[in-house]
Amino acid sequence: MNIEISDLHFTYPSGVQALRGISLTIEAGEQVGIVGQNGAGKTTLVRHLNGLLHPTAGEVKIGDWDTRKYSVAKLAARVGYVFQNPDDQLFSRDVRTEVAFGPKNLGYPKEQVEALVSEALEMTELADKTEANPYDLSPTWRKMVAIASVIAMDTPIVIFDEPTTGQDAASVARIANVIRVLRERGKTVITITHDIDFCAENFERVIAMSQGRILLDGKANDVLGQEEILAATYVDPPQLARLGRRLGFKETVRNEEEFLAALKNMSA
Amino acid sequence: MNDRLSFYRKRNSPVHALNPFTKLILVSALIFYGLTAKGFWTATLMVAFVLLPLALASKLLKEYVGVALKVILPTAGFMFVMQSVFIPGGTTEIFRLGFISVELETVQRSYLIASRIFLFISAFVLLLLTTHPSELMSDLTRRGLPPQFAYVIISTLQIIPQMQAKAQTIIAAQRSRGLDTESSFFKRAGLLVPLVGPLVFGSLVEVEERAIAIEARGFTSTRTKTFLHDIPDTPADKFIRWTLTLFIIISLAARLWLS
Ligand SMILES: Nc1ncnc2c1ncn2[C@@H]1O[C@H](COP(=O)(O)OP(=O)(O)O)[C@@H](O)[C@H]1O
Ligand SMILES: [Mg+2]
Repeated sequence: MNIEISDLHFTYPSGVQALRGISLTIEAGEQVGIVGQNGAGKTTLVRHLNGLLHPTAGEVKIGDWDTRKYSVAKLAARVGYVFQNPDDQLFSRDVRTEVAFGPKNLGYPKEQVEALVSEALEMTELADKTEANPYDLSPTWRKMVAIASVIAMDTPIVIFDEPTTGQDAASVARIANVIRVLRERGKTVITITHDIDFCAENFERVIAMSQGRILLDGKANDVLGQEEILAATYVDPPQLARLGRRLGFKETVRNEEEFLAALKNMSA
Repeated sequence: MNDRLSFYRKRNSPVHALNPFTKLILVSALIFYGLTAKGFWTATLMVAFVLLPLALASKLLKEYVGVALKVILPTAGFMFVMQSVFIPGGTTEIFRLGFISVELETVQRSYLIASRIFLFISAFVLLLLTTHPSELMSDLTRRGLPPQFAYVIISTLQIIPQMQAKAQTIIAAQRSRGLDTESSFFKRAGLLVPLVGPLVFGSLVEVEERAIAIEARGFTSTRTKTFLHDIPDTPADKFIRWTLTLFIIISLAARLWLS
Protein backbone atom coordinates (compact mmCIF):
# COMPACT_ATOMS: atom_id res chain seq x y z
CA MET A 1 0.00 0.00 0.00
CA ASN A 2 1.62 3.24 -1.20
CA ILE A 3 1.50 6.58 0.55
CA GLU A 4 1.06 9.55 -1.74
CA ILE A 5 1.39 13.08 -0.39
CA SER A 6 1.04 15.95 -2.81
CA ASP A 7 1.76 19.59 -2.04
CA LEU A 8 0.57 19.26 1.53
CA HIS A 9 0.14 22.46 3.51
CA PHE A 10 -1.12 22.61 7.06
CA THR A 11 -1.84 25.54 9.34
CA TYR A 12 -2.95 25.02 12.96
CA PRO A 13 -5.99 27.01 14.14
CA SER A 14 -3.57 29.09 16.22
CA GLY A 15 -2.05 30.31 12.96
CA VAL A 16 1.20 28.29 13.04
CA GLN A 17 2.12 27.18 9.51
CA ALA A 18 3.43 23.75 10.41
CA LEU A 19 3.70 22.28 6.89
CA ARG A 20 4.55 24.37 3.82
CA GLY A 21 4.31 22.23 0.73
CA ILE A 22 5.30 18.61 1.23
CA SER A 23 5.29 16.16 -1.68
CA LEU A 24 6.31 12.62 -0.99
CA THR A 25 5.75 9.07 -2.15
CA ILE A 26 6.45 6.13 0.10
CA GLU A 27 6.21 2.71 -1.52
CA ALA A 28 4.79 -0.35 0.17
CA GLY A 29 7.43 -2.04 2.33
CA GLU A 30 9.78 0.94 2.61
CA GLN A 31 11.54 1.77 5.89
CA VAL A 32 11.76 5.51 6.34
CA GLY A 33 13.39 7.54 9.10
CA ILE A 34 12.33 11.18 9.57
CA VAL A 35 14.77 13.54 11.29
CA GLY A 36 14.83 17.28 11.98
CA GLN A 37 14.89 19.83 14.76
CA ASN A 38 12.04 20.23 17.27
CA GLY A 39 9.07 21.97 15.68
CA ALA A 40 10.11 21.02 12.14
CA GLY A 41 6.66 19.55 11.55
CA LYS A 42 7.46 15.84 11.74
CA THR A 43 4.60 14.92 14.08
CA THR A 44 2.21 17.15 12.15
CA LEU A 45 3.18 15.34 8.94
CA VAL A 46 2.62 11.81 10.26
CA ARG A 47 -0.68 12.82 11.88
CA HIS A 48 -1.93 13.40 8.37
CA LEU A 49 -1.28 9.78 7.44
CA ASN A 50 -4.05 8.36 9.63
CA GLY A 51 -6.41 11.28 9.25
CA LEU A 52 -5.93 12.84 12.69
CA LEU A 53 -5.24 16.04 10.77
CA HIS A 54 -6.63 17.02 7.40
CA PRO A 55 -4.66 19.07 4.86
CA THR A 56 -5.29 22.81 4.74
CA ALA A 57 -4.28 22.45 1.09
CA GLY A 58 -3.02 19.51 -0.93
CA GLU A 59 -3.81 15.83 -0.61
CA VAL A 60 -2.81 12.71 1.31
CA LYS A 61 -3.64 9.27 -0.07
CA ILE A 62 -3.16 5.94 1.65
CA GLY A 63 -3.46 3.38 -1.12
CA ASP A 64 -6.62 4.47 -2.95
CA TRP A 65 -8.08 6.29 0.08
CA ASP A 66 -8.06 10.08 0.33
CA THR A 67 -7.64 10.66 4.08
CA ARG A 68 -10.30 13.37 4.06
CA LYS A 69 -12.96 10.88 3.02
CA TYR A 70 -12.32 8.29 5.75
CA SER A 71 -12.61 8.47 9.53
CA VAL A 72 -9.58 7.92 11.74
CA ALA A 73 -11.19 4.69 12.99
CA LYS A 74 -11.41 3.42 9.38
CA LEU A 75 -7.88 4.52 8.51
CA ALA A 76 -6.65 2.70 11.62
CA ALA A 77 -7.02 -0.51 9.61
CA ARG A 78 -4.33 0.74 7.22
CA VAL A 79 -2.09 2.92 9.38
CA GLY A 80 -0.95 2.02 12.89
CA TYR A 81 0.42 4.93 14.90
CA VAL A 82 2.46 4.52 18.09
CA PHE A 83 2.23 7.78 20.04
CA GLN A 84 5.27 9.22 21.72
CA ASN A 85 3.95 8.89 25.27
CA PRO A 86 2.56 5.43 26.13
CA ASP A 87 0.67 6.91 29.08
CA ASP A 88 -1.65 8.65 26.62
CA GLN A 89 -3.20 5.38 25.58
CA LEU A 90 -2.87 2.66 28.24
CA PHE A 91 -6.01 2.03 30.27
CA SER A 92 -6.56 -1.70 30.65
CA ARG A 93 -6.11 -3.79 33.77
CA ASP A 94 -3.64 -6.14 32.13
CA VAL A 95 -1.24 -6.13 29.23
CA ARG A 96 -3.07 -8.71 27.16
CA THR A 97 -6.40 -6.85 27.22
CA GLU A 98 -4.61 -3.66 26.38
CA VAL A 99 -2.93 -5.17 23.34
CA ALA A 100 -6.20 -6.74 22.18
CA PHE A 101 -8.03 -3.40 22.20
CA GLY A 102 -6.86 -2.28 18.74
CA PRO A 103 -7.42 -5.53 16.81
CA LYS A 104 -10.86 -5.88 18.47
CA ASN A 105 -11.80 -2.40 17.32
CA LEU A 106 -10.84 -3.37 13.80
CA GLY A 107 -13.37 -6.20 13.98
CA TYR A 108 -11.07 -9.17 13.37
CA PRO A 109 -12.55 -12.57 14.29
CA LYS A 110 -11.78 -13.79 17.81
CA GLU A 111 -9.19 -16.41 16.90
CA GLN A 112 -7.32 -13.94 14.73
CA VAL A 113 -7.28 -11.37 17.55
CA GLU A 114 -5.83 -14.01 19.87
CA ALA A 115 -3.15 -14.96 17.34
CA LEU A 116 -2.21 -11.35 16.55
CA VAL A 117 -2.01 -10.45 20.23
CA SER A 118 0.19 -13.43 21.09
CA GLU A 119 2.47 -12.65 18.20
CA ALA A 120 2.79 -8.97 19.10
CA LEU A 121 3.54 -9.86 22.74
CA GLU A 122 6.21 -12.29 21.57
CA MET A 123 7.79 -9.73 19.29
CA THR A 124 7.99 -7.10 22.02
CA GLU A 125 9.28 -9.63 24.60
CA LEU A 126 6.23 -9.12 26.77
CA ALA A 127 5.19 -12.77 26.75
CA ASP A 128 6.00 -13.17 30.47
CA LYS A 129 4.16 -9.97 31.46
CA THR A 130 0.73 -10.54 29.91
CA GLU A 131 -1.06 -10.55 33.29
CA ALA A 132 0.69 -7.45 34.65
CA ASN A 133 -1.09 -4.13 35.00
CA PRO A 134 0.59 -1.80 32.49
CA TYR A 135 0.93 0.86 35.19
CA ASP A 136 2.94 -1.51 37.36
CA LEU A 137 5.54 -1.85 34.61
CA SER A 138 8.51 0.49 34.19
CA PRO A 139 8.23 3.26 31.58
CA THR A 140 10.42 1.30 29.15
CA TRP A 141 8.09 -1.69 29.33
CA ARG A 142 5.01 0.51 29.10
CA LYS A 143 6.51 1.73 25.84
CA MET A 144 6.72 -1.87 24.65
CA VAL A 145 3.05 -2.39 25.59
CA ALA A 146 2.11 0.64 23.52
CA ILE A 147 4.14 -0.68 20.59
CA ALA A 148 2.63 -4.17 20.91
CA SER A 149 -0.88 -2.72 21.04
CA VAL A 150 -0.35 -1.08 17.65
CA ILE A 151 1.56 -3.94 16.02
CA ALA A 152 -1.24 -6.34 16.95
CA MET A 153 -3.51 -4.35 14.64
CA ASP A 154 -1.52 -5.86 11.75
CA THR A 155 -1.68 -2.73 9.59
CA PRO A 156 0.33 -2.52 6.37
CA ILE A 157 1.78 0.80 7.54
CA VAL A 158 3.24 1.43 11.02
CA ILE A 159 4.32 4.82 12.34
CA PHE A 160 6.57 5.36 15.37
CA ASP A 161 6.85 8.86 16.84
CA GLU A 162 10.19 9.13 18.65
CA PRO A 163 10.18 5.53 19.91
CA THR A 164 13.67 5.58 21.45
CA THR A 165 13.40 8.83 23.42
CA GLY A 166 14.01 8.07 27.09
CA GLN A 167 14.64 4.35 26.48
CA ASP A 168 17.63 2.40 27.75
CA ALA A 169 19.97 0.44 25.46
CA ALA A 170 18.10 -2.85 25.94
CA SER A 171 14.82 -1.21 25.04
CA VAL A 172 16.32 0.49 21.97
CA ALA A 173 17.59 -2.91 20.83
CA ARG A 174 14.10 -4.39 21.29
CA ILE A 175 12.57 -1.60 19.25
CA ALA A 176 15.16 -2.09 16.49
CA ASN A 177 14.28 -5.77 16.49
CA VAL A 178 10.55 -5.01 16.15
CA ILE A 179 11.32 -2.78 13.16
CA ARG A 180 13.45 -5.53 11.59
CA VAL A 181 10.64 -8.09 11.92
CA LEU A 182 8.14 -5.63 10.43
CA ARG A 183 10.50 -5.10 7.48
CA GLU A 184 10.73 -8.86 6.92
CA ARG A 185 6.94 -9.00 6.84
CA GLY A 186 6.85 -6.37 4.14
CA LYS A 187 5.32 -3.62 6.29
CA THR A 188 5.93 0.03 5.63
CA VAL A 189 7.60 1.60 8.67
CA ILE A 190 7.87 5.34 9.20
CA THR A 191 9.82 6.46 12.24
CA ILE A 192 10.42 9.93 13.62
CA THR A 193 13.62 9.99 15.61
CA HIS A 194 16.23 12.26 17.17
CA ASP A 195 18.57 9.33 17.66
CA ILE A 196 20.67 9.65 14.53
CA ASP A 197 22.67 6.48 15.16
CA PHE A 198 19.42 4.55 15.55
CA CYS A 199 18.21 6.12 12.33
CA ALA A 200 21.41 5.25 10.45
CA GLU A 201 21.35 1.65 11.56
CA ASN A 202 17.70 0.87 10.91
CA PHE A 203 16.45 2.82 7.91
CA GLU A 204 17.29 2.62 4.22
CA ARG A 205 15.65 5.90 3.41
CA VAL A 206 15.94 9.09 5.45
CA ILE A 207 13.97 12.32 5.20
CA ALA A 208 15.26 15.48 6.88
CA MET A 209 12.70 18.18 7.64
CA SER A 210 13.08 21.80 8.61
CA GLN A 211 10.45 24.47 9.14
CA GLY A 212 7.61 22.58 7.52
CA ARG A 213 9.56 21.58 4.43
CA ILE A 214 11.57 18.59 3.27
CA LEU A 215 15.26 19.46 3.27
CA LEU A 216 16.66 16.14 2.10
CA ASP A 217 15.12 12.85 1.02
CA GLY A 218 17.03 9.85 -0.22
CA LYS A 219 19.21 6.87 0.62
CA ALA A 220 20.36 6.96 4.22
CA ASN A 221 24.03 7.12 3.26
CA ASP A 222 23.49 10.08 0.94
CA VAL A 223 21.28 12.06 3.31
CA LEU A 224 23.33 11.43 6.44
CA GLY A 225 26.50 12.49 4.60
CA GLN A 226 25.22 16.02 3.90
CA GLU A 227 26.76 17.53 6.97
CA GLU A 228 26.27 21.18 5.99
CA ILE A 229 22.62 20.87 5.00
CA LEU A 230 21.78 18.73 8.04
CA ALA A 231 23.31 21.39 10.27
CA ALA A 232 20.48 23.72 9.16
CA THR A 233 18.03 21.47 11.02
CA TYR A 234 20.39 20.75 13.93
CA VAL A 235 21.10 17.17 12.97
CA ASP A 236 24.64 15.79 13.26
CA PRO A 237 25.64 12.89 10.99
CA PRO A 238 26.09 9.62 12.91
CA GLN A 239 29.33 9.17 14.84
CA LEU A 240 30.70 6.51 12.50
CA ALA A 241 30.00 8.69 9.47
CA ARG A 242 31.87 11.60 11.05
CA LEU A 243 34.75 9.39 12.07
CA GLY A 244 34.88 7.89 8.57
CA ARG A 245 34.97 11.33 7.07
CA ARG A 246 37.92 12.34 9.23
CA LEU A 247 39.68 9.16 8.25
CA GLY A 248 39.26 10.27 4.64
CA PHE A 249 36.66 7.68 3.47
CA LYS A 250 35.12 8.57 0.11
CA GLU A 251 31.66 7.25 0.92
CA THR A 252 29.50 7.96 3.95
CA VAL A 253 29.34 4.93 6.21
CA ARG A 254 26.50 4.38 8.63
CA ASN A 255 27.10 1.10 10.42
CA GLU A 256 29.93 -1.04 11.69
CA GLU A 257 30.03 -3.33 8.64
CA GLU A 258 30.29 -0.44 6.20
CA PHE A 259 32.89 1.21 8.40
CA LEU A 260 35.07 -1.89 8.55
CA ALA A 261 34.71 -2.51 4.83
CA ALA A 262 35.77 1.03 4.03
CA LEU A 263 38.68 0.77 6.44
CA LYS A 264 39.89 -2.43 4.77
CA ASN A 265 39.52 -0.78 1.38
CA MET A 266 41.71 2.09 2.47
CA SER A 267 44.50 -0.01 3.87
CA ALA A 268 44.44 -2.34 0.84
CA MET B 1 3.63 25.76 23.78
CA ASN B 2 2.97 27.64 26.96
CA ASP B 3 0.57 29.97 25.22
CA ARG B 4 -1.68 27.09 24.31
CA LEU B 5 -1.77 25.96 27.92
CA SER B 6 -3.35 29.01 29.52
CA PHE B 7 -6.06 31.52 28.70
CA TYR B 8 -3.45 34.25 28.40
CA ARG B 9 -3.23 35.99 25.02
CA LYS B 10 -0.22 38.19 24.49
CA ARG B 11 -0.95 41.63 23.03
CA ASN B 12 0.67 44.99 23.11
CA SER B 13 -2.02 46.96 24.91
CA PRO B 14 -2.46 49.35 27.82
CA VAL B 15 -4.55 46.78 29.68
CA HIS B 16 -1.81 44.17 29.39
CA ALA B 17 0.68 46.73 30.66
CA LEU B 18 -1.22 47.34 33.90
CA ASN B 19 0.16 45.78 37.05
CA PRO B 20 -1.57 42.43 37.71
CA PHE B 21 -2.66 43.56 41.18
CA THR B 22 -4.31 46.63 39.67
CA LYS B 23 -6.31 44.42 37.34
CA LEU B 24 -7.27 42.15 40.21
CA ILE B 25 -8.54 45.15 42.20
CA LEU B 26 -10.40 46.38 39.14
CA VAL B 27 -12.10 43.04 38.65
CA SER B 28 -12.93 42.77 42.34
CA ALA B 29 -14.39 46.27 42.36
CA LEU B 30 -16.51 45.53 39.31
CA ILE B 31 -17.79 42.31 40.78
CA PHE B 32 -18.40 43.77 44.22
CA TYR B 33 -20.32 46.72 42.84
CA GLY B 34 -22.19 44.67 40.26
CA LEU B 35 -23.35 42.12 42.82
CA THR B 36 -24.35 44.51 45.57
CA ALA B 37 -25.93 47.33 43.59
CA LYS B 38 -29.71 47.08 43.53
CA GLY B 39 -30.39 48.39 40.03
CA PHE B 40 -31.85 45.92 37.58
CA TRP B 41 -29.54 47.02 34.77
CA THR B 42 -26.36 47.61 36.80
CA ALA B 43 -24.58 44.40 35.79
CA THR B 44 -25.59 44.81 32.15
CA LEU B 45 -24.41 48.41 32.07
CA MET B 46 -21.10 47.51 33.64
CA VAL B 47 -20.49 44.85 31.02
CA ALA B 48 -21.45 47.23 28.23
CA PHE B 49 -19.58 50.31 29.44
CA VAL B 50 -16.62 48.90 31.33
CA LEU B 51 -15.77 45.35 30.29
CA LEU B 52 -16.46 45.62 26.57
CA PRO B 53 -14.38 48.81 26.15
CA LEU B 54 -11.59 47.20 28.19
CA ALA B 55 -11.70 44.12 25.97
CA LEU B 56 -11.55 46.39 22.95
CA ALA B 57 -8.60 48.30 24.42
CA SER B 58 -6.73 45.06 25.07
CA LYS B 59 -7.28 44.00 21.42
CA LEU B 60 -9.11 40.88 22.56
CA LEU B 61 -12.73 41.74 21.79
CA LYS B 62 -13.25 38.63 19.66
CA GLU B 63 -11.75 36.27 22.25
CA TYR B 64 -13.66 37.95 25.08
CA VAL B 65 -17.01 37.77 23.31
CA GLY B 66 -16.31 34.18 22.25
CA VAL B 67 -15.58 32.92 25.75
CA ALA B 68 -18.31 35.07 27.24
CA LEU B 69 -21.00 33.73 24.92
CA LYS B 70 -19.98 30.16 25.65
CA VAL B 71 -20.58 30.91 29.32
CA ILE B 72 -23.68 33.05 29.19
CA LEU B 73 -25.97 31.12 26.86
CA PRO B 74 -26.10 27.90 28.89
CA THR B 75 -26.17 29.87 32.15
CA ALA B 76 -29.10 32.01 31.10
CA GLY B 77 -31.00 28.98 29.79
CA PHE B 78 -30.37 27.05 32.98
CA MET B 79 -31.41 29.97 35.18
CA PHE B 80 -34.60 30.41 33.27
CA VAL B 81 -35.59 26.77 33.53
CA MET B 82 -34.76 26.61 37.24
CA GLN B 83 -36.64 29.79 37.97
CA SER B 84 -39.68 28.67 35.97
CA VAL B 85 -39.83 25.28 37.61
CA PHE B 86 -39.04 26.10 41.22
CA ILE B 87 -40.22 29.65 41.75
CA PRO B 88 -43.45 30.04 39.82
CA GLY B 89 -46.05 32.55 40.82
CA GLY B 90 -45.63 35.51 38.54
CA THR B 91 -48.70 37.36 37.49
CA THR B 92 -47.91 38.84 34.10
CA GLU B 93 -48.07 36.07 31.57
CA ILE B 94 -46.22 36.88 28.33
CA PHE B 95 -47.16 33.78 26.41
CA ARG B 96 -48.06 30.17 26.96
CA LEU B 97 -46.14 27.16 25.67
CA GLY B 98 -48.33 24.12 26.11
CA PHE B 99 -48.79 23.74 29.87
CA ILE B 100 -45.89 26.07 30.68
CA SER B 101 -46.78 29.69 31.09
CA VAL B 102 -43.93 32.12 30.63
CA GLU B 103 -44.21 35.03 33.02
CA LEU B 104 -42.57 38.40 32.94
CA GLU B 105 -41.37 38.11 36.54
CA THR B 106 -39.56 34.86 35.83
CA VAL B 107 -37.87 36.27 32.79
CA GLN B 108 -36.77 39.32 34.76
CA ARG B 109 -35.47 37.32 37.67
CA SER B 110 -33.50 34.96 35.45
CA TYR B 111 -32.11 37.88 33.51
CA LEU B 112 -30.96 39.60 36.69
CA ILE B 113 -29.16 36.51 37.97
CA ALA B 114 -27.72 35.58 34.61
CA SER B 115 -26.41 39.09 34.00
CA ARG B 116 -24.71 39.08 37.40
CA ILE B 117 -23.11 35.70 36.81
CA PHE B 118 -22.05 36.95 33.43
CA LEU B 119 -20.43 40.02 34.93
CA PHE B 120 -18.65 37.88 37.50
CA ILE B 121 -17.29 35.32 35.08
CA SER B 122 -16.50 37.59 32.18
CA ALA B 123 -14.58 40.01 34.43
CA PHE B 124 -12.37 37.10 35.44
CA VAL B 125 -12.06 35.95 31.86
CA LEU B 126 -10.76 39.37 30.89
CA LEU B 127 -8.27 39.27 33.76
CA LEU B 128 -7.01 35.86 32.66
CA LEU B 129 -6.86 36.83 28.99
CA THR B 130 -4.70 39.87 29.69
CA THR B 131 -2.57 38.64 32.60
CA HIS B 132 -0.10 35.81 32.53
CA PRO B 133 -1.00 33.64 35.53
CA SER B 134 2.57 33.36 36.75
CA GLU B 135 2.94 37.12 36.61
CA LEU B 136 -0.19 37.57 38.69
CA MET B 137 0.99 35.10 41.28
CA SER B 138 4.52 36.44 41.33
CA ASP B 139 3.16 39.88 42.02
CA LEU B 140 0.79 38.68 44.74
CA THR B 141 3.50 36.63 46.41
CA ARG B 142 5.71 39.69 46.49
CA ARG B 143 2.86 41.51 48.20
CA GLY B 144 2.73 38.86 50.88
CA LEU B 145 0.52 36.07 49.61
CA PRO B 146 1.84 32.73 50.93
CA PRO B 147 3.57 30.87 48.07
CA GLN B 148 1.66 27.67 48.84
CA PHE B 149 -1.58 29.53 48.23
CA ALA B 150 -0.21 31.04 45.03
CA TYR B 151 0.82 27.60 43.88
CA VAL B 152 -2.64 26.15 44.41
CA ILE B 153 -4.24 28.96 42.45
CA ILE B 154 -1.78 28.95 39.60
CA SER B 155 -1.85 25.20 39.14
CA THR B 156 -5.64 25.29 39.13
CA LEU B 157 -5.59 27.97 36.44
CA GLN B 158 -3.21 25.91 34.36
CA ILE B 159 -4.77 22.57 34.91
CA ILE B 160 -7.88 23.14 32.82
CA PRO B 161 -6.12 23.90 29.52
CA GLN B 162 -3.52 21.23 30.34
CA MET B 163 -6.18 18.60 30.90
CA GLN B 164 -7.85 19.71 27.68
CA ALA B 165 -4.64 19.28 25.71
CA LYS B 166 -4.00 15.92 27.31
CA ALA B 167 -7.56 14.74 26.70
CA GLN B 168 -7.19 15.66 23.05
CA THR B 169 -3.99 13.64 22.74
CA ILE B 170 -5.65 10.65 24.42
CA ILE B 171 -8.65 10.83 22.11
CA ALA B 172 -6.29 11.01 19.13
CA ALA B 173 -4.29 8.02 20.40
CA GLN B 174 -7.40 5.87 20.91
CA ARG B 175 -8.96 6.84 17.59
CA SER B 176 -5.66 5.76 16.01
CA ARG B 177 -6.29 2.36 17.58
CA GLY B 178 -9.59 2.12 15.79
CA LEU B 179 -11.84 3.52 18.52
CA ASP B 180 -14.87 4.95 16.78
CA THR B 181 -15.73 8.13 18.66
CA GLU B 182 -18.38 9.08 16.15
CA SER B 183 -20.54 6.08 16.97
CA SER B 184 -23.92 5.99 18.66
CA PHE B 185 -24.64 7.12 22.19
CA PHE B 186 -24.69 3.63 23.67
CA LYS B 187 -21.29 2.81 22.34
CA ARG B 188 -20.12 6.17 23.64
CA ALA B 189 -20.73 5.13 27.23
CA GLY B 190 -18.22 2.34 26.66
CA LEU B 191 -15.71 4.89 25.37
CA LEU B 192 -15.30 6.44 28.77
CA VAL B 193 -12.77 3.97 30.16
CA PRO B 194 -10.18 4.29 27.37
CA LEU B 195 -10.45 8.07 27.52
CA VAL B 196 -10.73 8.79 31.24
CA GLY B 197 -8.34 6.04 32.39
CA PRO B 198 -5.15 7.54 30.94
CA LEU B 199 -6.28 11.03 31.97
CA VAL B 200 -6.57 10.07 35.64
CA PHE B 201 -3.42 7.93 35.74
CA GLY B 202 -1.47 10.60 33.91
CA SER B 203 -2.61 13.30 36.32
CA LEU B 204 -1.59 11.24 39.33
CA VAL B 205 1.87 10.70 37.91
CA GLU B 206 2.08 14.39 37.11
CA VAL B 207 1.17 15.46 40.63
CA GLU B 208 4.03 13.44 42.05
CA GLU B 209 6.48 14.80 39.50
CA ARG B 210 5.40 18.35 40.18
CA ALA B 211 5.81 17.89 43.91
CA ILE B 212 9.33 16.58 43.46
CA ALA B 213 10.20 19.32 40.97
CA ILE B 214 9.11 22.22 43.17
CA GLU B 215 10.69 20.68 46.23
CA ALA B 216 13.97 20.34 44.35
CA ARG B 217 13.81 24.08 43.72
CA GLY B 218 13.55 24.88 47.39
CA PHE B 219 9.84 25.62 47.47
CA THR B 220 9.55 25.05 51.20
CA SER B 221 12.73 26.95 52.05
CA THR B 222 12.06 29.52 54.74
CA ARG B 223 14.66 32.01 53.53
CA THR B 224 13.49 35.28 52.02
CA LYS B 225 13.00 34.67 48.33
CA THR B 226 14.05 36.87 45.47
CA PHE B 227 12.15 37.28 42.21
CA LEU B 228 13.41 36.56 38.74
CA HIS B 229 11.11 38.95 36.89
CA ASP B 230 10.53 42.53 37.72
CA ILE B 231 6.84 43.32 37.39
CA PRO B 232 6.34 47.04 36.83
CA ASP B 233 4.06 48.92 39.22
CA THR B 234 3.65 52.51 38.02
CA PRO B 235 2.23 55.54 39.83
CA ALA B 236 -0.73 55.26 37.45
CA ASP B 237 -1.35 51.75 38.80
CA LYS B 238 -1.34 53.02 42.36
CA PHE B 239 -3.64 55.87 41.43
CA ILE B 240 -6.14 53.51 39.79
CA ARG B 241 -6.08 51.17 42.77
CA TRP B 242 -6.69 53.94 45.29
CA THR B 243 -9.45 55.44 43.21
CA LEU B 244 -11.21 52.11 42.91
CA THR B 245 -10.87 51.37 46.61
CA LEU B 246 -12.17 54.80 47.50
CA PHE B 247 -15.05 54.37 45.08
CA ILE B 248 -16.07 51.11 46.68
CA ILE B 249 -15.86 52.54 50.19
CA ILE B 250 -17.93 55.57 49.24
CA SER B 251 -20.58 53.54 47.47
CA LEU B 252 -20.78 51.19 50.42
CA ALA B 253 -21.03 54.09 52.87
CA ALA B 254 -23.67 55.75 50.72
CA ARG B 255 -25.74 52.62 50.71
CA LEU B 256 -25.52 52.17 54.47
CA TRP B 257 -26.28 55.84 55.01
CA LEU B 258 -29.27 55.95 52.74
CA SER B 259 -30.91 52.75 53.84
N1 LIG C 1 -1.82 21.35 18.52
C1 LIG C 1 -1.07 22.37 18.06
N2 LIG C 1 -1.58 23.62 17.99
C2 LIG C 1 -0.83 24.64 17.50
N3 LIG C 1 0.42 24.53 17.07
C3 LIG C 1 0.99 23.31 17.12
C4 LIG C 1 0.29 22.17 17.62
N4 LIG C 1 1.10 21.09 17.54
C5 LIG C 1 2.26 21.54 17.03
N5 LIG C 1 2.21 22.87 16.77
C6 LIG C 1 3.27 23.71 16.16
O1 LIG C 1 3.52 23.24 14.85
C7 LIG C 1 4.90 23.21 14.57
C8 LIG C 1 5.34 21.81 14.21
O2 LIG C 1 5.19 20.98 15.35
P1 LIG C 1 5.45 19.40 15.33
O3 LIG C 1 4.82 18.82 14.13
O4 LIG C 1 5.02 18.87 16.66
O5 LIG C 1 7.04 19.35 15.19
P2 LIG C 1 8.05 18.15 15.47
O6 LIG C 1 7.27 16.90 15.68
O7 LIG C 1 8.91 18.13 14.25
O8 LIG C 1 8.84 18.54 16.69
C9 LIG C 1 5.59 23.77 15.81
O9 LIG C 1 5.83 25.13 15.59
C10 LIG C 1 4.58 23.57 16.90
O10 LIG C 1 4.71 24.56 17.90
MG1 LIG D 1 7.13 15.60 17.37
